[in-house]
Amino acid sequence: MIKIEQLTKEYGKVRAVDSLSLEIHREEVFGLLGPNGAGKTTTIKILNTLVKPTSGRAWLDGFDVVQNPLEIKQRIGVVPQENNLDRDLTAYENLKIYGLLHHLPDLSRKIEERLRSVDLWERRHDPVQTFSGGMQRRLLIARALLGQPQFLFLDEPTIGLDPQVRREIWNTIRRIRTQGGTVLLTTHYIEEAEALSDRVGILSKGKLIALDSPENLKKMVGEYVVEYINQDGSKVYQMCRTREDAQCHLLHTENEMTFRKANLEDVFVKLTGARIET
Amino acid sequence: MNWYPIFLREMLQFKKKLFRLGYIFTSMMVPLLYLLAFGLGLGRSVQVAGGSYFDYLLPGLVAMSSMNNSYNWIASGLNLSRLYFKTFQVLVQAPIAPTSIIAGYVISGMVRGLFASLMIILVGLLAGSGFHLSLIFIFTLLLNCFLFSNLGVIVGMITKSHEDTSTYANFFILPMVFFSGTFFPIERMPALLKGIILCLPLTHTNILIRKTVWDGQAWLALLVMTAYAALFFLIGSRMIRNYSE
Repeated sequence: MIKIEQLTKEYGKVRAVDSLSLEIHREEVFGLLGPNGAGKTTTIKILNTLVKPTSGRAWLDGFDVVQNPLEIKQRIGVVPQENNLDRDLTAYENLKIYGLLHHLPDLSRKIEERLRSVDLWERRHDPVQTFSGGMQRRLLIARALLGQPQFLFLDEPTIGLDPQVRREIWNTIRRIRTQGGTVLLTTHYIEEAEALSDRVGILSKGKLIALDSPENLKKMVGEYVVEYINQDGSKVYQMCRTREDAQCHLLHTENEMTFRKANLEDVFVKLTGARIET
Repeated sequence: MNWYPIFLREMLQFKKKLFRLGYIFTSMMVPLLYLLAFGLGLGRSVQVAGGSYFDYLLPGLVAMSSMNNSYNWIASGLNLSRLYFKTFQVLVQAPIAPTSIIAGYVISGMVRGLFASLMIILVGLLAGSGFHLSLIFIFTLLLNCFLFSNLGVIVGMITKSHEDTSTYANFFILPMVFFSGTFFPIERMPALLKGIILCLPLTHTNILIRKTVWDGQAWLALLVMTAYAALFFLIGSRMIRNYSE
């Protein structure tokens, strides 16, 4: 279990994470959703010991991220937002060094298994710098899973990937959950957060502004959306609790309207007044 | 042996660089120019410390080259790994102690420094130097590589951009090369400057590397070098322990 209590990180006058408190359970995929600069990456970096918090505390399975870094590092796998593979080295060498750093037994077999699972075994002796962006992303995921971590942190794992590869990665994440792992995922892909997350936390300016299952969050703000273009050219989103409410809007206007089911972005817009892509 | 994966990583990168066209030539260019220009130009005609200038210069250039290569490889590599490639994250997220991380870097820096030294010695021998490998020489060389690899870790950890590493090299490493007894004995320097020079670690490397017996001056040089090396190792380990992005 991941437990976070009043976690705060300040960079000078900027408060990247602001009094964040939440619990993430075993066998749960938890999605942190929010625009760039909301504090998602900083939160993940604090939990995987790369960033020291200004105040507040966080524990993974009871181990404090500041007081017990070695115990934390034995339990985590990280897919960072930035590609931090050694580009001069081959795919195999990258995984071998990672495996040695993490004291993994039976390393050759594990490397082969992981490289085959991301379809990179045939390219194992090629330098990473010759790989496409998608291949490098797959290798990052293979590396994070090499030690079968109890806690997997994925920071924008499918950014820049084509839909087919993205769905393969989603399946991998679901498998980790069924095998008893805990997954913390940041994304600004709405579809990804909805498809994968058991619960979603919405971050805005470092603060957690909503926390629930995707379905409950949508119910909270209204399950249906009516969209139309205003006279000044701006797009208006009208949240409606029921299909009948939405139809009511459609009947009482002459503007051209679109009627659809709400998604997590609508939740975000309702709560903050801004769109996630901003 | 927790340092081994970091050492292996650095050595794999070193091996790949080594086979790139011209790498050895460009990295050895400066010390070889010094050796050939000063050594062959003045070498036979000028007498220093009771021997030829060429034989005086060669150990100094080995000290300089081992320092430069150990220091630069680590300072520059660590800086890029931390700020640009972000590969340093992988090391600090591994369940190993900060001392293992620094040890892995330092041992790889030592290999690099020793490799550069070997090249200089070979060229010196081919050019007709009467140079003899002694135990003091080997020991000093190892300690010098260790000391400056540790300094490389500190600089690699504190610099905020890649350009900063050359600033440190220009303001600290380069003056040390010229004033610490690499090219001429420090006894010829003015008293005030000599006091400052005696505080520099490379001065003591240059003293010790030319010794043939363990006299009082040799032990003092060893003490100063060891103190610097231990201090740099402790500071570097502490910086890695307190690393936060």
